[in-house]
Amino acid sequence: MNGSQGSKLRLWSCAAILGATAAMHSGVASAQYNDGKVFLTGGVFTVDGAGGGGAVPWATITGYETRDGINGGVGYTYANLPALQLNVFGGAIGFYDRFELSYATHKLSLNLSNLDTVALLDEILGLGLGTDPWNSTLQMDVYGAKLRLFGDAVYTSDSWIPQVAIGGLYKENTTGELVRTLGASKTKDWEAYLAATKVFFPLSTLVNFTVRYTSANQIGLTGFGECSADGCTNDKEFRFEASIAHLLSKNTAIGFEYQQHGGNLDGKSVSLAGGGLPLEGLTDLLGPLLPGVQTALTQEKESDWMDVFFAYAPNKNLSFVIAYLMLGNISVAQDQNGFYMSMHATF
Amino acid sequence: MKLSKIGLSLFTGAALLAASVQPAFAGEQKTKPILGIPKSSLDDFGGAAGVHAWVESLFYYIMLDNRISHIFREFGNVERQIALNTQLEQMVLGGAVEYQGASMSAAHADLGITMTQFNAVVEAAYNACERNNIPYKTCNHLIAALAPFTRVIVTR
Ligand code: HEM
Repeated sequence: MNGSQGSKLRLWSCAAILGATAAMHSGVASAQYNDGKVFLTGGVFTVDGAGGGGAVPWATITGYETRDGINGGVGYTYANLPALQLNVFGGAIGFYDRFELSYATHKLSLNLSNLDTVALLDEILGLGLGTDPWNSTLQMDVYGAKLRLFGDAVYTSDSWIPQVAIGGLYKENTTGELVRTLGASKTKDWEAYLAATKVFFPLSTLVNFTVRYTSANQIGLTGFGECSADGCTNDKEFRFEASIAHLLSKNTAIGFEYQQHGGNLDGKSVSLAGGGLPLEGLTDLLGPLLPGVQTALTQEKESDWMDVFFAYAPNKNLSFVIAYLMLGNISVAQDQNGFYMSMHATF
Repeated sequence: MKLSKIGLSLFTGAALLAASVQPAFAGEQKTKPILGIPKSSLDDFGGAAGVHAWVESLFYYIMLDNRISHIFREFGNVERQIALNTQLEQMVLGGAVEYQGASMSAAHADLGITMTQFNAVVEAAYNACERNNIPYKTCNHLIAALAPFTRVIVTR
């Protein structure tokens, strides 16, 4: 494993964000410190690090600052699905309710017995697939920036014009061998999105639509694009996302999210040695020994993500989100539905 | 708009608030939230008495908030503001009540109010709803009706 450099970099970025937010808190930048935004209107901590819902970035700028200052926070998210556990840690800073910088680091543990079998083979044959017979782990760092273009999500109740923002994310998957084993073309890539958010007070409801230009597989956790015998492609496309949050009270919301996904890896067999040695040959060999290996290692059609969530902010410094995720097929695993919990501490 | 009506409102305004300075130009229009204001809103607030009680609570919370209370102590006149806000809030909720104070732009133009200070008043508004047992959803109709004034009230 050559991950030590990557993890050092991650540690530094974590430290930098913690340091920056702590400095803000302790008053180094107290002249600019601001927490004047109304409850929950900065959104919470998305898995991309950006301000928004759980998976969908919103047009609102993270933190509780208004146009008069700076605010930010750190977040932690845990998702527990039958075949995988996702841990996300990160932070984001909002400047003058106009601009946002964010960082998130992902650790996704896959406990798939079929992949573990491949990992055993990998170890015996020394193929270097990036798998681990006990638990294969995917890791990714996400750096983000968002700029509010126009509109006010909250106060323009006499106009249909929403708040609109553009954002960019740079995603760096640090488990390259495994990503290539799963058939992706690239480990690092950028995404861009355009988000529109509006609060409808008479309905006590926030509505957000986002269009993302990306080639990600499972938000980049399994890389970008695809490789097959004919070569590799990494074609970005526009994908649609939406969040609806209904406020039950000023600090409690329930809602629903949808995120369209692509189909780069659909139907691909988990390939050995980065596509150079497709599994088919091996399964011929193993067929009599391990019936069904071939189908067990064919990746399912990537599903769109959906979730229903419950968000609660006891005060302006803390919010909790509990959600039920319906992520469908992820790589070789089906029916990945499960529990999601996220905490966002703002300063 | 009829001139005579403006004249009348100026006259009654002056009579009612004899001690106070006349605003630069009188009157404020009802806002037009895109999803409208339900007919029952004013009743849901407890009618004129309910709105009055809410405004009193609003100013109670405003005066407790160190971020903004000094502005009201220095430039405000809480009694006058309670009377005028009671009229204004009834009007924006669809009540047949005449608002006799200054326009929102005229009343706040010189105060240099920031978004942070505006949001502090909004927080006080929600606290007042809670204190007066006005349901969150009902409260949001008033917030929707007042929100468009942000444009002219927040000048910094
Ligand atoms: C939607 C929100 C608001 C509404 C509906 C509102 C309403 C009013 C009304 C009806 C008056 C009386 C006008 C008159 O005297 O003729 C007034 C005056 C005043 N308001 Fe507001 N206001 C709002 C927000 C604010 C905010 C955010 C502040 C400061 C933080 C503020 C500070 C004042 C002060 C100091 C006065 C007295 C001005 C004077 O007498 O010269 N208001 N407001």
